[in-house]
Amino acid sequence: MKDFWLIKVFRGTGYTLVLLLEALGLFTHAWKRRAAIMGQMHIIGAQSLPIACFFMLLIGMVFALQTGIEFARFGQTNLVGLVIVSAMVRELGPWMTAFVLVARVGSSMAAEIGTMKVSEEIDALEVMSVNPVSYVVMPRVFAYAIMGPVLTVFGTLVGIAGGAIVANIQLGVKLEDFLRFAERGAEPLDIYWGLLKSLVFSLCAAAVACSNGMRTSGGAVGVGQASRNTVVIALTLTVFLNYLLTSFYRMVKRLVAGLM
Amino acid sequence: MAGTDTSQRKARVDPNKPVVEFIGVRKKLSGRMILDGLDFSVRRGETFVIIGYSGTGKSVSLRHMVGLMKPDEGSIRIDGDEITTMTQRELEVLRRKFGVLFQSGALIGWLNLFQNVELPLLEHTKMSKRKRAEVVQEKLELVNLWQDRDKFPSEISGGMKKRAGLARAIALDPQIVLYDEPSSGLDPVIAHEIDKLINRLRDSHGMTQIVVTHDMESAYTIASRIGMFYHGKMLQIGTPNEIRTSAVPEVQHFITGGREGAVSTRSDAAIQHGRAPGMLSQRTAEAIDAAADAAPTEQVYVLLEERPDDGTPAPAGAPSTTPELKPEAELESTQEHQTHEEKP
Repeated sequence: MKDFWLIKVFRGTGYTLVLLLEALGLFTHAWKRRAAIMGQMHIIGAQSLPIACFFMLLIGMVFALQTGIEFARFGQTNLVGLVIVSAMVRELGPWMTAFVLVARVGSSMAAEIGTMKVSEEIDALEVMSVNPVSYVVMPRVFAYAIMGPVLTVFGTLVGIAGGAIVANIQLGVKLEDFLRFAERGAEPLDIYWGLLKSLVFSLCAAAVACSNGMRTSGGAVGVGQASRNTVVIALTLTVFLNYLLTSFYRMVKRLVAGLM
Repeated sequence: MAGTDTSQRKARVDPNKPVVEFIGVRKKLSGRMILDGLDFSVRRGETFVIIGYSGTGKSVSLRHMVGLMKPDEGSIRIDGDEITTMTQRELEVLRRKFGVLFQSGALIGWLNLFQNVELPLLEHTKMSKRKRAEVVQEKLELVNLWQDRDKFPSEISGGMKKRAGLARAIALDPQIVLYDEPSSGLDPVIAHEIDKLINRLRDSHGMTQIVVTHDMESAYTIASRIGMFYHGKMLQIGTPNEIRTSAVPEVQHFITGGREGAVSTRSDAAIQHGRAPGMLSQRTAEAIDAAADAAPTEQVYVLLEERPDDGTPAPAGAPSTTPELKPEAELESTQEHQTHEEKP
């Protein structure tokens, strides 16, 4: 008997949320599992750094080129710095880093846990009275939540640098002009909000990956499915949450401006 | 030291009280009745072997024993404690009594053999590092893997994985050890090594062991008692000799590899078409039983033109080309037709 798809969606969402809360609630085990958390931070953070930076560098370069062409029509090429910084800090940095991480880490995380599930390793842990959420899920969620924002900082900086290089070489903007306008691109609150977004995306992607892994059944096909579902669901959630968080931020800012 | 420990344990509890008790356990999984009123009990210190056709839910009964699955009905007692109503926390305590050897060993992939065996000690005891290393060495030497302690599960053979899994299962000296198909996928020599290990654990450590297998040779070697699992129930429970000389046709059929004895029309029909008797869907099984009551046996086989459970179409050129086989839908209509005829 096949369940109605909506019921499956609700069941999956519920499981994922409970798993996330359970993992976060096990923060008391973090010290005991510090080795596992460090190992995951290495995989999620250090090993993803080159690819994330490469992505952000090229995105920054393309972005500078495209906006530069338009600004040149109005003779305002100097403004490129402002646009790049505001876009990078508020949107592209957190968002594209989240994409890179989901593709590189989320999918493999789901496949890894899924394989553990179908090869009875998760059951074995449970039979040994080792809570799989504490042993497998919690270190991954914590490492992801820590390294997501860290990578966002690196990615954003590299992206801005990429923009500056293109602005300087191809658009003929002097570096000091770029920086002068760049300063006006973002205020501290923007930066914090961008990092908060990154944290939300990271938690969300880690929870989706672990939940899909833990619910895997049916051998190699099931593992493939878990990995695919993770990428699709995590990316969809990322774009959706990004929109929500951005509109919320705008609303708050307007409210604050209106009060003052 | 282990010896005194065991004798003390024996003195404390009544040796005749069963360690594991299944009473009328029923479990339905994806529309099939896997356990259908399962009754049996295992005595302290014995090796109880569960045999039966593959896919009939022998492993499912093991999972019930450690609370990984809950039955729909019936009761399961471990040392007299009812486990079907236990909370997660109580189950965690209960599981310390168990060591489980999974079919593929289920070693954690990112830990080497030493760390895998050390894992339960790290999680559940406050032993010093030196003491842990001693225990791990003892267990790994027992399964003859000490020299391979630095290898990772991906670097070793299936037999080694199983032996390492066994070392991990007994790391905390459990009272009860469960084995899920310990000899499947191993060559006869290694399979025999595992049998010898199982016997050694029973003799020297006094462990109660429950083994699920379909390897009869191994069953005769290790069993104190054998239980034949059939259509979700225990068909016969007896000593190896009683099973060997069993008068039950289904048991004879199984232990002689189908050369002697017979099975019910339902299973016979399934076996004729290369299916495990336990793998029939509830609907088909019932249809066969009904048809068997109404018609001569030969016609029952026709009913097996069943779709696989996952819903994919049956492979082309499969038995469907055989002339006497008809699609299930058609059969059902035939059957309806028959019953219809009988009514007046």
